[in-house]
Amino acid sequence: MDGTFQLALRLIADGLVMGFIYALMAIGLTLIFSVLGLVNFAHGEFYMIGGYVAWFLVTKFINMPPLLAVPLAGLATFIIGAVFDYLLLQPMHKGEIERPQEYAILITFGWAFILQYLTLAIVGPWPQKTPRYFDLPTLDLGTLKLTGAMMKAGFIPISATRLTAALISVILLVILVYFMNYTWTGKALRAVSEDKQAAATVGINPRRMSTLAFGLGTMLAGMAGAALVPAFAWVPQVGVPATTKTFVIMVLGGMGSMPGAMIGGLIIGVVEALGAGLIPDAIRAYAYRDAYGLIIFALVLLLRPTGLFGRKS
Amino acid sequence: MKRSLLQWLIIAVGAVVMLGVPFALGNKPYWLHVAIVAYFYAILASSWALLAGYAGQFSFGHMAFMAVAAYTSGILGRDLGMTPVQSIIIGTLTSAVVGFVIGVLCLRLRSTYLALFTLAFSEILRLALNSELDLTGGPNGLTLELLVDTTSRVPYYYIMLGLLIVSLAFMYWLANSSFGLFFHAIREDEEAAAAMGVNIVRYKIMAFVVTSLIAGLAGAVEAHYIGFITPNILIIAQMSIVVAMAIIGGVESLLGAAIGAIFVQFMLELLREIPMPASIMPTLAQMEGTLEAFGLSVGEHGILTNAWRLVVFGFVLILTLRFYQNGLLYPIIDRLSRRPVLAETVAKRIQATEVES
Repeated sequence: MDGTFQLALRLIADGLVMGFIYALMAIGLTLIFSVLGLVNFAHGEFYMIGGYVAWFLVTKFINMPPLLAVPLAGLATFIIGAVFDYLLLQPMHKGEIERPQEYAILITFGWAFILQYLTLAIVGPWPQKTPRYFDLPTLDLGTLKLTGAMMKAGFIPISATRLTAALISVILLVILVYFMNYTWTGKALRAVSEDKQAAATVGINPRRMSTLAFGLGTMLAGMAGAALVPAFAWVPQVGVPATTKTFVIMVLGGMGSMPGAMIGGLIIGVVEALGAGLIPDAIRAYAYRDAYGLIIFALVLLLRPTGLFGRKS
Repeated sequence: MKRSLLQWLIIAVGAVVMLGVPFALGNKPYWLHVAIVAYFYAILASSWALLAGYAGQFSFGHMAFMAVAAYTSGILGRDLGMTPVQSIIIGTLTSAVVGFVIGVLCLRLRSTYLALFTLAFSEILRLALNSELDLTGGPNGLTLELLVDTTSRVPYYYIMLGLLIVSLAFMYWLANSSFGLFFHAIREDEEAAAAMGVNIVRYKIMAFVVTSLIAGLAGAVEAHYIGFITPNILIIAQMSIVVAMAIIGGVESLLGAAIGAIFVQFMLELLREIPMPASIMPTLAQMEGTLEAFGLSVGEHGILTNAWRLVVFGFVLILTLRFYQNGLLYPIIDRLSRRPVLAETVAKRIQATEVES
């Protein structure tokens, strides 16, 4: 096989791994959008907070095992999200706000600002590193080689941190699919997203469901952050590109479509990796990594605003 | 409109204060600088208010238009040797053209989509400015020729003040003409406005062009005052501050947004350092480690609040949005400007009851 092809395959694998994390975040945003009918401009900040909570638990506080730290980070972001919804978004549903749509944009945008600067004030601007959650066992099966920090399948290397992150998100996605399809609460959430009034007549409390949806959505973002924090140097601004990226995915997949968010996440992950890898100039390639998604975003909005799987409104 | 004595008094005092600031602060160049920056933000916040509060286009790309003009002006001055005045004019026109293009692209987008699209545009621009090293200098920034060749800040103060007054006057004229009415109609109900014969396409694009022109002009002048720009002027937090200024002042009032910006800018500077009595400074210096754990640090004359002051403003923004949707300052302005009307109404009412009885 020639070099370019190998490189492309390697990049695609890399992109798919990141794509699962993106998908997790985008599904969180989709859940919020489909139940509450609004876009959470602070989504990336919940991802950032989740990462910081996991970092704190693993490195500063009793060196907690990562298997516990990730769910706890999810719990923390769930609580922040649910409280935010209860205090600041519920008044919208009660008709206390004059222009709900504009209010939703501005209040979540303002909340993102608060979370960012609160984190900056508490942990400071310095990049924080979290150690690798798990070491892979050493194994050599010819084409599949495992060492502590790296998995090598043929000529495709994937670092242990990213592999762990991808596995965590796949597990969470499976749990989420089960939850949404086979539990009463999950079905109730879907019912509310389909038709609020009809759901209310069969005894579902839409307000409680919207608090739950917002909490769950931000929890997914927080857990995505917690899963991915060992792979990056974490700073309070990591949430900003994450927010725009998640929107891109949701718009690409179709606003409110969960399968769309899943596939959109994988597509954006791959596009980003390919785009970054195929530009020879390393500085530009790295800098424009976030731009590819945004270009797709602009194209989708202009050419097919309903996205791949969007419902026509 | 008839104005009461009190209103004329406020306007006169305001004019005297604004014109006299350099004489009062002549020996404090730092505060003069704060005032210049405050006027710069006032232009940005009020033009954003025209776009968002009047026309209902909640764009998060306002800083991008500003940056387009500033960078264009800087690059033209560096590569083509243009004088600052020439390059500012061309830079401003460029930002208006970019505003036109964005306005056209945004025609089909409503509320959330528009906010996302403009946010994305702003981010793309920031990435491009950061990575096109040959053209923009990348993260190291771009040095610009000073607009006025002097170390004094006084000329810049009057330039920025003049710019603020001219742009406010222009936007007021626009908002109170039929354009303002159409902007409002679009915000309230686009379909209904279109059905009534408002040319939606024209006025939406126009809202973008006008506001990006004003933001661009302010940005280019500011860049030639500071003499240096980096892509950091485009970070989302900067946009958040402009939004916060406009909301706190009153997003449906141009003057409210401008005063809000000046107020917030001065508060941010005042909160930078909380003064402490000199006697406890040594104790504070010993406690520096503890303070730093809470994100504070010890300055020369007190406690430095660092990021906390922005957290405070975030909460002020949220509370304003939740409880005072007309802004914190606008209701006061509104009350003052309605005083004569109020008096007239009361007089008429009294007259009416007298006639009845």
